[in-house]
Amino acid sequence: MSSFEDLDLQAQMLLSYEVEQFLYAEARLLDTRQLDAWLDLLTDDIHYWMPIRRTTTAREVDREFTQPGAMAFFDDDKRTLTMRVDRLGHGRAWAEDPPSRTRRLVTNVEVLAVDGNDIHATCNFQLYRTRLNSEEDCWVGRREDTLRRVDGELKLARRHIFLEQTVILAQNMSNLF
Amino acid sequence: MNLAQHSARWYNPDTGTLDRRIFTDADIYRQELSHIFGRAWNFVCHESQIPARGDFFMSYIGAEEVIVVRHRDGSIHVLLNSCPHRGNTVCRAELGSTRSFFCSYHGWNFDLDGTLIGMPNEVDFYRGEFDKSAWGLGSAAQVASYRGFVFATMDSAAPPLDEYLGWVGRLGIDMLAGKGDLEVVDGIHKNRLQCNWKLAVDNLFDWYHVKVSHGTSMRLGLLPEETISADAQMVILGAYGHGIGGPGLKPGQLEALGRRKDGDTSTDAEWFDMQAAWRTQPGVREQLGETGVRSLGHPSIFPNLWVALTNQVCLRIPRGPLETELWWFTFMPTHLTPEQRRTAIWSANHYFGPAGFLEQDDGENWSHSTRGAGGQFTGARPLNFAMGLGQDYVGEDGGQHSIETVVNEHGQRWTYQNWQEWMLAANWPELMATGSPPPDGLV
Repeated sequence: MSSFEDLDLQAQMLLSYEVEQFLYAEARLLDTRQLDAWLDLLTDDIHYWMPIRRTTTAREVDREFTQPGAMAFFDDDKRTLTMRVDRLGHGRAWAEDPPSRTRRLVTNVEVLAVDGNDIHATCNFQLYRTRLNSEEDCWVGRREDTLRRVDGELKLARRHIFLEQTVILAQNMSNLF
Repeated sequence: MNLAQHSARWYNPDTGTLDRRIFTDADIYRQELSHIFGRAWNFVCHESQIPARGDFFMSYIGAEEVIVVRHRDGSIHVLLNSCPHRGNTVCRAELGSTRSFFCSYHGWNFDLDGTLIGMPNEVDFYRGEFDKSAWGLGSAAQVASYRGFVFATMDSAAPPLDEYLGWVGRLGIDMLAGKGDLEVVDGIHKNRLQCNWKLAVDNLFDWYHVKVSHGTSMRLGLLPEETISADAQMVILGAYGHGIGGPGLKPGQLEALGRRKDGDTSTDAEWFDMQAAWRTQPGVREQLGETGVRSLGHPSIFPNLWVALTNQVCLRIPRGPLETELWWFTFMPTHLTPEQRRTAIWSANHYFGPAGFLEQDDGENWSHSTRGAGGQFTGARPLNFAMGLGQDYVGEDGGQHSIETVVNEHGQRWTYQNWQEWMLAANWPELMATGSPPPDGLV
């Protein structure tokens, strides 16, 4: 794994720009419900994971997040994510009918490391959702994404999502992060 | 004649109709906290969550936070999370391990059994005359476990846990505990709905909504049609409001289902493997009984615990009349192979919880039902729970009683009838004297 810092400044800027543009375009696909196009951005071996977070004492803060293999809000592979997208086309996906309105803000994008074709990046996000007349949900969190260069195109190979909530203050998470 | 037959203040057992203001009224809610959650044996956690001395898990009795903690002698204590000095919380973590509970306000320090063991400047400021033994943390009146499931009650007059659960409550837990030595998988799914807690409880008996509410899950293959078993439903009703409702296998059918997995790797074969095959193992029939072994239904431990078929239990915790937290605890038998464990955890993570395929579609139905109960005009109109009323019989098989029928609302009616009896009874002795026994004959 090479350090991003080892690249010269121009290469760093180009790579950061490429990663940012990918993440912005991806967020736009989700906001505009172009979910089949979103699925095309995923590698076949994607791991899409949101652990459960708990309030712990400072002394035991290493127990804050559940670990892989334990319980999680999302622990999905490509097949499961495809099921989530297919679900919405089935006509009785009540949580999204009428559709919710979502807007994703992606910010603080940092490339952390480059490993062959894999680019490890982190970003902060806000996902704002309204529903029906007056229902409002807001999630803020951090993501750890791995983008992989496949045939010259960037794909999403790993997404780990860390929310700033323990009890989810929403009736569901029928959306993608 | 018992009290319930005379009283139809909110729920009318003769018509199966319910005053829907019980879902929004603040006075009724306050009465529920004292008359129901204050008296009941409340599930608080599983022993495997707090295996070592000093391990604790923050839970609820009704709307009130309690610390469930393993004491140094191995006993489990259920403590009120409120310092008797100014009322501050003495524990602010959801889980962890500690030597004592230290109040961050003035430094009163409590042992794992709640005893006050230290106060800063005790001699200087209290002049050495303070009786620490009288000022420990409040605690549950009774704590007991059934097969590792820890329950607590604030009422010293409550009958022993075993008697409270009765054969139906015990069967409901046996349907999970019978799968093997259980351990809770790390991580409790928690989310908050804008609904009354009873609507969430009522739903666990509801096999009518599945095809409509969860139609997408059926089309995705997560709920094979035959697992809903609309034409072969079994309802088991127990004392104090416990019940089990859902698919009921016919005698002999279990063995056939248990063999389905051989050479079949389809989703529904996996499902039947998980739900049915273990019941054909030696000893399970004897433990669950002739009727219990055939139930693939949903046990409800009154007032707010659902034992689900996904190796999970769900607590419906009231957070006010219009707000409920759902807490999903996931259990795995320790003997599972890594592959079986992965499959079972996949199901638990993807069926329920706020992002679960099934549960995504439930919340809005319950919140809108709650909203409808609070309307000036809609709230004045009763709700209909009459499906199957007066059209089914309680039968008996091997000493166990059940109703074998089609999709119905017997479980919901039993829940509201018992809820009403708990609400009208002044105390445990009165509830025991006036509460309806599980029905016999025509229901």
